[in-house]
Amino acid sequence: MRYFLQRLLQFVIVFFIVTFGVMVLIRMGLNAPGDPARTLLGGAPSDQLIAETTAKYHLDSNYLVQYWFWFWNFIQGDMGYSVQNSLPVFDLIKLRATVTLLLGFYSITFAVLIAVPLAVRQAYKRDSVFDRTASGLTFMFVSVPAIVLAPILTIILIDKNVFSIGDYQITIGGWFPRVGNKVYPWEDPVEHIKNFFVPVLVLTIPLAAVFTRLLRGDMVQTLQADFITLASAKGVSPRRVLWLHGLRNSLFSLLTGVGLQLGGIVGGAIVVETFFDLKGMGAMLVGAILSKDLFTVQSTAAILVACVVTVNLIVDLLYAVLDPRIRHARALA
Amino acid sequence: MTAVAQAAAPVPAVDPVEAKARRRRRKAPLGFYCAVGFLVLLVFLAVFADYLGFIRSPLQKVPGGARYKIGPGWTAWWGTDGLSRDVFARCIYGSRTTLQVGIYSTIFGITVGGLLGVLAGYFRGAVDRVVSVIIDCLLALPGLLLAIILISRLGAVKESTTWLNWLDRKWQIVLTLGILATAPLARIVRAQTMALREREFVLAARSLGAKPARVIFREIMPNLIPAILTVAFTGLSILIASEGALAFLGLGVEVPTPTWGKLIDENRAKIDIAWWATLFPCFMLFLTVWSFNIIGDRLSRRFDIRQAGV
Repeated sequence: MRYFLQRLLQFVIVFFIVTFGVMVLIRMGLNAPGDPARTLLGGAPSDQLIAETTAKYHLDSNYLVQYWFWFWNFIQGDMGYSVQNSLPVFDLIKLRATVTLLLGFYSITFAVLIAVPLAVRQAYKRDSVFDRTASGLTFMFVSVPAIVLAPILTIILIDKNVFSIGDYQITIGGWFPRVGNKVYPWEDPVEHIKNFFVPVLVLTIPLAAVFTRLLRGDMVQTLQADFITLASAKGVSPRRVLWLHGLRNSLFSLLTGVGLQLGGIVGGAIVVETFFDLKGMGAMLVGAILSKDLFTVQSTAAILVACVVTVNLIVDLLYAVLDPRIRHARALA
Repeated sequence: MTAVAQAAAPVPAVDPVEAKARRRRRKAPLGFYCAVGFLVLLVFLAVFADYLGFIRSPLQKVPGGARYKIGPGWTAWWGTDGLSRDVFARCIYGSRTTLQVGIYSTIFGITVGGLLGVLAGYFRGAVDRVVSVIIDCLLALPGLLLAIILISRLGAVKESTTWLNWLDRKWQIVLTLGILATAPLARIVRAQTMALREREFVLAARSLGAKPARVIFREIMPNLIPAILTVAFTGLSILIASEGALAFLGLGVEVPTPTWGKLIDENRAKIDIAWWATLFPCFMLFLTVWSFNIIGDRLSRRFDIRQAGV
């Protein structure tokens, strides 16, 4: 418990420092009085409007005061108003977040579903042809950036490719729309899959590769442990040894991987949403940063940081659930 | 004397499986040489592009070309783009920017991150706590997001600060990616330093009265080089991919200068009629990232360094 509180405190501190940092960074270069209000309003606002906005958001006071007012409003659900989108930031995020959450959820789920069986089999048949082929392939896919994978998959799956071999014509691709439309699964499942398939694939492939590599490495080491030998010796079936004894003790690196990859997934989502014109939070955030929409950036970044920090905290807790030794060691500490 | 010592040492019984694995660890695989070869070729082409006859100027039009008219072939190896410029030439010239940005920002990351990591690992206590918080903060904000915020604002900072005139787009990207590279490097250097400072040779140096600066620079630093090199190569691949992503999002270097990310972005709208203009820059980016990864992986096996995640 004490350990948990320590971690919690650490994460709270990180949250404050990072959100404050984002606030300072996004205001860099807006030094002249009235500058922040002017960028916030966009266009050519009147002097009176600038003065009003400046007063309303305390844009002329020092950063700590500004931060305090932003934070106070933020935790009450008032995240400011985005003039450029003519929406309150909260509504804007509500409108855009679902797409990004779906992308993240799908890619992590599918990546884990691919990685676990693959890695278990690789570790079981260590150094076999299967293992080495899979290792090579996953290593290759780890190195594919999203901006490379997206065009390649577009060419293969979205564009229509007609090959003629003699009299035969083979058509590959043309199955998915070029621009992802925001169709939710509860509206039209088939259209939803069509629109999300390629973007999710772009995010899933490198992620699955990373997870497979992490899990395989861990699993190979676990399978050499004495308790695995013991389990096999006393007649536990190989399947049970592998999936129960082996996997459970190898899940740590996978868990850590999910926590560490979260930032990468957000980055990937930004690229994918831009490439496929999916109207998600990532694309919105890039637009907001470029148009200096101060409060949109601050609030969205704060939510993202909170997510990353929370997931890492949960991962930390799951360690203890998975491994009683950690739980007891921490209880003693 | 050495010969005697060697002969006297008992021959350890080697498990055949272990021996095989060890042999594989020592022998560099074919992929490693391919990766090195590709990078050497790429650097050679990038450096001497101006003097090599078969590489056109990246801004010059290919004669007889119109919008995306010439596909890959003898006239232009990798086809032409929307302004009928040679895609091959643009890819080669694009690698200049990409490689420079990647290498400079890695150097920045090694200097700053290495210093922070060594100080935190050696002195521990308060220094360690401060450095750890810095690392945690840098890792809590998604890297690409931090990069976009920094680059989009550094332009304005340059405008309003007179002594920052030299900070053009390229150096802004270098600075940003350098900051991104700092956190992982600081983390691994910190961990390694903590392990090293407990070793006998450090204790010996300390008990002989060596000052912290001497211990750090003469005893610890040389032993950190393998770890730093390994992380630097893997990091380079990530930085190059990030540079591509930034350029793709419109935050690359100034307009006429090509980079791979920008080439992908410029041509992706016409991907269905001119696949070559998008696909070849993609391959260049991918092969470069892959090569750096292969080298990093090889080094980590060679030096037996375990990394936290890819």
